[in-house]
Amino acid sequence: MVLIRRQKLLISFDRVLASSALHWANSSDSDCYLGRTFPLKSTLNATNNNSPLVAKLQKLLFRRMLVGVNDGRFFLGVFHCIDKQGNIILQDAVEYRNIRRSATSPMDQRCLGLILIPASCRSSCHVDCSIEEQLSLVSLQE
Amino acid sequence: MADERVEARAPLLPSIPSGDQTVWADASSLIAAACNDLQDGELVHGENFSLFAAMSALEIMDPKMDAGMENNGYRSVEEAIENGAAPLPLSSDSTVDVQCLIDIIDHLVACEATWHKGHSLAQTVFSCIYLLRIERTSAHVLLHSYCRIIRATCNAVISAVSDARTHEEEDLFTMAFGLPLKGEGDEKCLSILNSVEETISRQLRACKALSYKKKVLEDVEPLQANADLEEGYCRALLCRLRFRKHFYHVLTCMRKSQGRGLELARKHIALCLSELSSIIKSQEFLRSNVCRSYQDDVEESTTSSGCKPVGFDASLNSRFSAPTPPRAIRILSWKKAIEYFEKLLHDLDVICCFSLESILENVLHFVVQFQDSQPDLVARAHMQLLLVQDGKLYGRDFFYDVISKAIALPEFARDIEFQKNEFVVQLIQLVVNLLKILCTNAAWQRRKLGKILQDWSLFSIQLELALKREFGDMLKPLVDENVCMKVSKHLLTWAEEQTYWIAARFLMLGFKLELYSPNEYCMVYWYMYIILMKLLEKIQLRLSSKGDYRRKGKKKRDVSKDLTRDVLVSSPSILLLQCYISLSEGLAMMLAALRNESKVFEMPNVFNSEQERFIQHFELLQKAHVPDHISYYLFKESTIHASIPIVVKHNYFREAQRISTSLRGSFSGDPGRMQELRRIDQVSEHNRIALNVINKVSAHDPSLSVTFEFTHHPFFAVAVVKRS
Repeated sequence: MVLIRRQKLLISFDRVLASSALHWANSSDSDCYLGRTFPLKSTLNATNNNSPLVAKLQKLLFRRMLVGVNDGRFFLGVFHCIDKQGNIILQDAVEYRNIRRSATSPMDQRCLGLILIPASCRSSCHVDCSIEEQLSLVSLQE
Repeated sequence: MADERVEARAPLLPSIPSGDQTVWADASSLIAAACNDLQDGELVHGENFSLFAAMSALEIMDPKMDAGMENNGYRSVEEAIENGAAPLPLSSDSTVDVQCLIDIIDHLVACEATWHKGHSLAQTVFSCIYLLRIERTSAHVLLHSYCRIIRATCNAVISAVSDARTHEEEDLFTMAFGLPLKGEGDEKCLSILNSVEETISRQLRACKALSYKKKVLEDVEPLQANADLEEGYCRALLCRLRFRKHFYHVLTCMRKSQGRGLELARKHIALCLSELSSIIKSQEFLRSNVCRSYQDDVEESTTSSGCKPVGFDASLNSRFSAPTPPRAIRILSWKKAIEYFEKLLHDLDVICCFSLESILENVLHFVVQFQDSQPDLVARAHMQLLLVQDGKLYGRDFFYDVISKAIALPEFARDIEFQKNEFVVQLIQLVVNLLKILCTNAAWQRRKLGKILQDWSLFSIQLELALKREFGDMLKPLVDENVCMKVSKHLLTWAEEQTYWIAARFLMLGFKLELYSPNEYCMVYWYMYIILMKLLEKIQLRLSSKGDYRRKGKKKRDVSKDLTRDVLVSSPSILLLQCYISLSEGLAMMLAALRNESKVFEMPNVFNSEQERFIQHFELLQKAHVPDHISYYLFKESTIHASIPIVVKHNYFREAQRISTSLRGSFSGDPGRMQELRRIDQVSEHNRIALNVINKVSAHDPSLSVTFEFTHHPFFAVAVVKRS
């Protein structure tokens, strides 16, 4: 386990380095998005944002979220964070994956923990909610 | 539009249930719209969010992090089997079937060696589809028996390594999550293997009888259809199966408590080695009868025939190795794998030859010598398991006995009080730790040794304080020292001696790991000289007090005189130590003189100063006060006036040579130490000559170039002088 921890730390350390480098290169605060580059400054929480849509999104935090990605896998986890670009972080995530190429194949699952799903590979996104809430979500879209 | 989307996903969603009374609601549009409203740099997150933790999230679809990413291979073992990736029988042609089987066997050996070298089990041995679904193979008796013995062997190796806990650096080794490693009936693997072996040897006998035109006594069905090849294939299979059998025996015998199985293990090791040579001999036959496609590079191939084996796919369970990144690994070639097993068996044989003596000094020497051949993880694990079993040396001798023997405690002092003494208990723990650390790989070992120096020196300090507290001022002449005090004093001297021994080993390992640059050699040899001097001092102190018990009747002065002479003349290990001291001092002074006179080994001042490097290299020693009052300034002071003529006059190397020559008689029965003497002799000789040459031409000569190489000894350099 030591090795894994070290690798993880290394990865995050790399990211800090990369982010600081990029941050200084661009020397603007706008290159702040999840995954690739974090500015070394603390991030802004969107609680002060006045948009009703953002408030709605905020209410979905800590809900179970099911995200599908391009290669057909699904990730089920607790909605932890999202940035302007739509990169999502899920906590206690589980990966679901078809064990055969056919559409009706049974699924195989494994636990992954904290994961980051880049917006570029996200193909679907569902949240666990009651039927009334679903209606209100749909009404918001229109 | 929305309805259409829901329907398209309908078959997927039911398989992942939502909560009670709840449904999966599509949030994509809400997310898209809300993100649009977010400011740059804004994040939607809860109170428990931490940027630092978020950075260590596993990134999906990143090839370096996401082990589950879609590759173009099969999605599961079942799918692979359905698509014929691991056919059973291996071929409808019985000759090809045997060929394929031998390829699988060879590839598995290559995988096993790669695993032992530190890769994950999932990507090496368990890339074999047959092993992943072992029940499938039950109809193919040969393959089935081989798979079973491989699995049992893997289990035995894993348990040895994880029991020894020598694998901290190589922690991929024991990870076997999700692999079908334990199965019912594996304890019968040997009997299955034996019966298979019996069948093949009968087939071999039958075909030999046939070739001599003798009448076949029993009706034996041949191994395969081609009568001309029958003998060759029977032999090739037999040596492979027998190797497996003996190797498994070696592993089980070595685990027997108190080293009881070592003698039997040696016999099996010898048999293993002879089967290995038969396996190598079978290569020619297997190569000449290939009818399938070759691997790209025959020399690098993982099978003896050079063919690609069927039934392997490392990507199938790359997900089991999660959450590590799924790296492609290179399986060792078959040749390298055989070499690996030969080395492993030799290393295990060295362990089996050990006489299991209980004199700690010799045990430490043995382990250090064992490590010289750079044994791999599996051999080191077995070494450690032998040394420390159930908290006893070899599971046989209590450590307090070992320690009391080491400090030459008289019988009457070895009572229960002694065993329960808190310092003795602590010391036992330190010794056990030291033994375990000495069995780890060089890099890990050095790091750990540096750390435990602290513990040892702390122990000495505490013991010293306790001594002072209990017995008042040490300077007061005591008429009659009581036993307890004497015991404590001996413990202290002995612990200090071990501390210096550890420090010396720490410094020497630095050369093995190539941690020093040539312009730092001077300070390293200087420090080594100091440490070795201290070590010598402590050993002499211990040996001189050893006599206290014996020669109580004699007058004190006589005794000490006698002993000093005795000790200096008689003990070969002290003389060897003096050799090392002369060499270290000689090299330190020679390097200092070269630096002072010709500026060749001067520190480039680009990144850090010499003082900074001194601190970097010896920080752990200094923190542990090994020894006290050693500083960079002392180093500078003692080397600043060094000059070549002075070094020549001191004749350090001649002295080392003289001692090593005189030692030959006392070490004649010990090939390891004899070799060490030869090495010392060569290093001294070369350096003495080099020094004379430099002295003659004068070190100022700009055409003179001096380099240092480790051609004769692992940590004593030899000066190479060239003139351009």
